[in-house]
Amino acid sequence: MRKTGFIAAAMAMLLTASAASFTQADEQKNGGTLVLGTTQKARHLNPAVQSGIATAVPGTQIFATPLRFNDKWEPQPYLAESWSVSDDGKSITLKLRANAKFHDGKPITSEDVAFSLQTVKDNHPFKSMFSPVTGVDTPDPLTAVINFEKPHPAALLAMSSALLPIIPKHVYGDGQDPKSHPANNAPVGSGPFKFVEFKPGEYIILEKNPDYFIEGRPYLDKIIIKNYKDLTSLALAIDTGEINMYPFLAPTKDIARLKKNDGLVVTDRGYEAVGPINWLAFNTNNHYLKDKRVRQAIAYAMDRDFIINALLGGQSKAATGPVVPGSPFYADAAEKYDVDLDKANAMLDEAGFPRGDGDMRFQLTVDYIPGSAELQKNVAEYLKSQLKKVGIDVELRASPDFPTWAKRVGGHDFDMSMDIVFNWGDPVIGVHRTYLCDNIKKGVIWSNTQSYCNEEVDNLLNEAGSELDQAKRIALYKKAQEIIVDDAPIAFINVLPYHTAYSKDIGNPPLTIWGAMSPLDEVYIK
Amino acid sequence: MAVIESSQDIVQSQSPWREAARAFRQSWAGMLGIFILILVILFTFVGPFFYPVDPFEIIWAPLTPPGATERAPLGTDYLGRDILAGLIHGGPATLYVGLVAGIITITIGILVGAFAGFYRGMVDEFLMRITEFFQVLPALLFAMVLVTLFTPTIYVVSLAIGIVSWPTTARLTRAEFLRIRNLEYVNAARSIGAKNRRIIWRVILPNALAPLIVAATLTVGIAILFEAGLSFLGLGDPNMFSWGLMIGAGREYILDGWWVVTLPGFMIFLTVLGFSLVGDGLNDAFNPKLRER
Repeated sequence: MRKTGFIAAAMAMLLTASAASFTQADEQKNGGTLVLGTTQKARHLNPAVQSGIATAVPGTQIFATPLRFNDKWEPQPYLAESWSVSDDGKSITLKLRANAKFHDGKPITSEDVAFSLQTVKDNHPFKSMFSPVTGVDTPDPLTAVINFEKPHPAALLAMSSALLPIIPKHVYGDGQDPKSHPANNAPVGSGPFKFVEFKPGEYIILEKNPDYFIEGRPYLDKIIIKNYKDLTSLALAIDTGEINMYPFLAPTKDIARLKKNDGLVVTDRGYEAVGPINWLAFNTNNHYLKDKRVRQAIAYAMDRDFIINALLGGQSKAATGPVVPGSPFYADAAEKYDVDLDKANAMLDEAGFPRGDGDMRFQLTVDYIPGSAELQKNVAEYLKSQLKKVGIDVELRASPDFPTWAKRVGGHDFDMSMDIVFNWGDPVIGVHRTYLCDNIKKGVIWSNTQSYCNEEVDNLLNEAGSELDQAKRIALYKKAQEIIVDDAPIAFINVLPYHTAYSKDIGNPPLTIWGAMSPLDEVYIK
Repeated sequence: MAVIESSQDIVQSQSPWREAARAFRQSWAGMLGIFILILVILFTFVGPFFYPVDPFEIIWAPLTPPGATERAPLGTDYLGRDILAGLIHGGPATLYVGLVAGIITITIGILVGAFAGFYRGMVDEFLMRITEFFQVLPALLFAMVLVTLFTPTIYVVSLAIGIVSWPTTARLTRAEFLRIRNLEYVNAARSIGAKNRRIIWRVILPNALAPLIVAATLTVGIAILFEAGLSFLGLGDPNMFSWGLMIGAGREYILDGWWVVTLPGFMIFLTVLGFSLVGDGLNDAFNPKLRER
């Protein structure tokens, strides 16, 4: 019934759409509804104070950001029609579009930019994005000058996607806590789509913003973000055509199955900026794991190819270092730790842990994030089997739910743990946090929970974080990555097999570096 | 001679335990149950000596079907671990959970039921309200909460199952105590000055034991199913191979490899069936009225 209804509606939409743009064959057409499925439940819709995919996907439709990025990591004008970085790198000047208005009709001024940046700086969990910002000058309503205490090349990326949504000062500036502001559930933004309805855990409905500041866009009439209870029903929904886009598709069996559906396109493009890495983290305070050779030996004992090909159906790429392949800062030359059991055994002998009782050297526990069995639990089970071969007795520690796991790992109460950490575009945002000495913060998940501290790495990362010259920056990161990979506070395994499945009749699917976490104003239905 | 023979018959039939044992041997259900249980126990406890494969070891390509390679006669699971080794090594954990949970159930049940049924009055009221509290909680949900609060290890799982399943036993015990406490032989014991403790444990309990043994046997089967349910929901102990864990972890692969879940499922089915049949047989044996029919 439902399916027929959807098809009928789609046909009707197609008919009106083709009538409207009859003259421009194979051009972008107006009209149509994008139904996007997800299992991630948004708590609210204000990405200024909340990270995560669930808020970012609707958030980037409702709120515009100063810049946006294409698929080649190049910044593009968005709310800011132009921008310039001062020679000393300590200020960025944004020229805003004159015709940009919020959904309630009020114009966007540099005051809003200054207010938004302060809100994000004070409330967003990614502290490093704007921590060097000293203030924002607003010489005129359309010019905002962001001042930094030191050059901050990550700022350009941090002004795109869901990271710096321009929120209206006249709504949020009323003194209420932005984290619990009532407008977070019915936000007023300036993006291509306007808020219509939000039923937490069920759906979010957005409709075309007719006064959008980019002429002629968006093409779609409506976006519906539909929540599904579990991944199986979500995969079924795209398979049967109940929805027409499924971003952040990760179960490898579903990827393989949906690739066989002729009506769908399945692509792994669009996740370069997110950069999600699946890895095994070591607690370097552990009696055995504080020895670098032990950590390296474990990395050598793991067969990454087996994990990717046998456990993940070949749908995932290898991760070999802190930065995800596909990022301009990825260093290819670093040691890869290709499987070598003899070497691993020799290193453990050398480290002074000979085989003892039952042919075992010592015992370690491994934690894993509950829920995504394929990437976490199964790999942990594999490690138990594999590390036995080098004489390490691994005990799996199951966590009944995510908070339990986060409390253990955040509280440094673990030996080894499987973990998934995102790069978030610029290393300053998503990479530094894992390795800097001063980010060893007990109780904070996804900080430097490994308690890894190397002054040289600290210096390199801090230098790279404020280096304006891209080539020099890349060189600094390359060096830092080589040291980190050699120190092995983490054994890198694979990039999450994120894919987007979308219906063949969708034009201009979101394939930029931010994927579905970017404004979908160019998407149309054929 | 004939007189002596018949008097021997009488002596025999007067020992209720021996009579029950004889009746049990005549019950086909009970004997079939015992036979199945012996097979299962032999499989899991003697099996490792004939088939010394580590169930955690990855020995072949993942999801190899049964019979495809000699290394894994019953195929491999989603990691490439031997299913047959898993079935053999999964038995003790499953039986352990069943037995420990069964013992916890019976112990708490008998204690609560005996005191409530014997003392009646306020004690009864108090204990029965507690029992009702546990009885109205959805058992699986409550067990999940317990396992979630603590780390899911095999001990916690056994304890959780025991804690949620005792109310039935307590009610059964209480009913038996209420029935027996005013019978003549109890009054007789009381009149010669036996203490309450003696009356409860030495006079009433042995006479109330028959239905409790039947209940205990069935409880073990139910506890095994419970463990499978918890493991299926991902709340099993990942370091102990149990059949429930194999089903729970393998359920996502049922379309790619039926054997991953079907074979451990069959083992659970056999074991629970065995316990149920034994319970049936014991019921026949202990219930003289049924026996006459």
